[in-house]
Amino acid sequence: MPPIIEVRDLVKVYGGGRGPGRQEAVRAVDGISFSVEEGEFFGFLGPNAAGKTTTIRVLTTLLTKTSGSVTVGGHEVDRGAAAIRRIIGYTGQSVGVDGDLTGRENLTLIGHLYHLPRDVIRRRVDDLLTVLQLDEAADRPAITYSGGMRRRLDLGAGLVNLPRILFLDEPTTGLDPQTRNAVWDYLRRLHKEEGMTIFLTTQYMEEADRLCERLVIMDQGRIVTEGTPARLKAEIGADVITVHLKQDGSFVRGRERALALAQGAHGVVRATAFDEGVSVHAKDGGATLLEVLRLLDSEGVAVRQVAISQPSLDEVFLQHTGRQMRVEEVKPQRGPMERRR
Amino acid sequence: MAEAGVAAGSEGAAVTGPGAAATGGPAGRAPGPPSAAVPGPDPRSGPRERLSEVWWVAWRQLRKLTRNPFLLFWSLMMPLIWLILFSQTFSKVFERGASLPGATPLPYDFVAVMLPGIAVMTAIQSSAQSGFGMVMDMDSGFMDKLFVAPIHRSSVLLGKLLADGLRMAGQAAIVLFIAWAFTHAFGWRIPFAAGPGGTALIVLLAAGFGMAFSGLSNTVALRSRNTETTMLVSFTLTFPLLFLSSAMLPEALLPTWVQDFSRVNPVSYLADASRPLILTGWNITAIGHAVAAIAIMGILLNGLAMLSFRRLGR
Repeated sequence: MPPIIEVRDLVKVYGGGRGPGRQEAVRAVDGISFSVEEGEFFGFLGPNAAGKTTTIRVLTTLLTKTSGSVTVGGHEVDRGAAAIRRIIGYTGQSVGVDGDLTGRENLTLIGHLYHLPRDVIRRRVDDLLTVLQLDEAADRPAITYSGGMRRRLDLGAGLVNLPRILFLDEPTTGLDPQTRNAVWDYLRRLHKEEGMTIFLTTQYMEEADRLCERLVIMDQGRIVTEGTPARLKAEIGADVITVHLKQDGSFVRGRERALALAQGAHGVVRATAFDEGVSVHAKDGGATLLEVLRLLDSEGVAVRQVAISQPSLDEVFLQHTGRQMRVEEVKPQRGPMERRR
Repeated sequence: MAEAGVAAGSEGAAVTGPGAAATGGPAGRAPGPPSAAVPGPDPRSGPRERLSEVWWVAWRQLRKLTRNPFLLFWSLMMPLIWLILFSQTFSKVFERGASLPGATPLPYDFVAVMLPGIAVMTAIQSSAQSGFGMVMDMDSGFMDKLFVAPIHRSSVLLGKLLADGLRMAGQAAIVLFIAWAFTHAFGWRIPFAAGPGGTALIVLLAAGFGMAFSGLSNTVALRSRNTETTMLVSFTLTFPLLFLSSAMLPEALLPTWVQDFSRVNPVSYLADASRPLILTGWNITAIGHAVAAIAIMGILLNGLAMLSFRRLGR
């Protein structure tokens, strides 16, 4: 069976237009290719401005691409937009619910926009409100909802048409851990019980690790690596020792020294420098940790913090980009990128 | 989640788009295995679906209005305030003028001359705000919800226009109703020469004009994506359009250059069609001109808005 989503050499350039609103051209997505199989739980992991939202907006027909080929459900995005819209659900980064309408009215309206029969809409909206635990608040204007409730309602809006593919753009950003867990559970069940294909973007390593069967790591408009979370972590093939160094005047020299020392230590598979120190992959983490610390101490390199861990997607990201991924919890309402969508 | 699973499963057979039912095409897709997902004929195809899209977008706008009692109250207060302000403030000037030696006393009050202008003004004020909601929907992400749904983009604009039109018609009707009530209760001298039918036509013309003018506010909103800009542009144009027209005073009383401008100002055509309906009776030619002016302006401005709308996401 052909992949349900197929992307080849997708490029999206913003700006560079004419007129008073003219902006510097920005290559938000810079030639990416990937495909998603039907029924897969697929993730796009990356920091802010990596190009995740741009990609998802092209896939959901909200944004036209600059070049490359994109098909969703067998339909080409430019010519088959209408057909694509009928088989997808979308929950965006900004919560697109109407605060003046009640939760029930929000979902019912969406149902009517999909031309579903009234009785189907009524039943499905009831079910969604129950599952999303919004039934008590169902007939209150959504403006009275908490952030988590609005997020859940927004998720419900993406499901009214029982989509074949559900697109989620950072669905848990800004949620408290409890609500986040509830959303995760719900998504897992949707995937398992309905066989729904889910395409999710996230900047949370943990989210990608727990939910996604396969993922792509994106940074600065490009895909840096791709695979199952297990395989990506296994590629590192060792324990991970992260040494954060003191950020003082001698930091750069200290890091160089630390890198050289670590590379020479016993059992080290690979050592890489990152913006706050050195990351060391070793077969036997415990033994190597002691040796590295001893070496650093004898050379007088000031250590701020040391951690030893099983490899996580953090290390995968670090290894492929040379940077630690930072999650910006407080996001601007609308970035410059989104202004020109 | 068991609930959703079961519910979704049992619903499967019923999930048939109205388009599929109408044309006897294959059943709409059932949830579950992908092989069951046979897309039916395009449910967007029929005019019935299109009308339903427009209606639901309009329904949402109207529901928003009723959910904001203050907004509803003030949008109804505005016409009343205009009516009182203009009738009271300028009435003395008019009386003086009419009582000058050699002048013929008129059988009606100044407010009767102003009334059509006030109805139009109310509609214009509302249409100047039309773009606000557009900007807010773009910011909140609600517009994305509309755009990922399988509906025509034009339905979003038309639905909004329909809701705006209904609101403006309501406002204009209130102005005229209050004027009628005052005529009976306080002895205002307003002839209502063309009767209830003519008065209803004024309501329709005012709402039609308001809908046509909404295109400007929406175009600015879609281009600027900024509420302040939208407000500024629309309000700045509103008053010149009103005062450089025959809506406030009959053309003969205007300075020459204003007369020249007022002849190309669509507001004048509206006033010239509406005023006789209050003062003297039906003037079919003037009504024809007004309808043409509204149509030309409406197609032009809303066409621009539609172009801007289509540009979103490029």
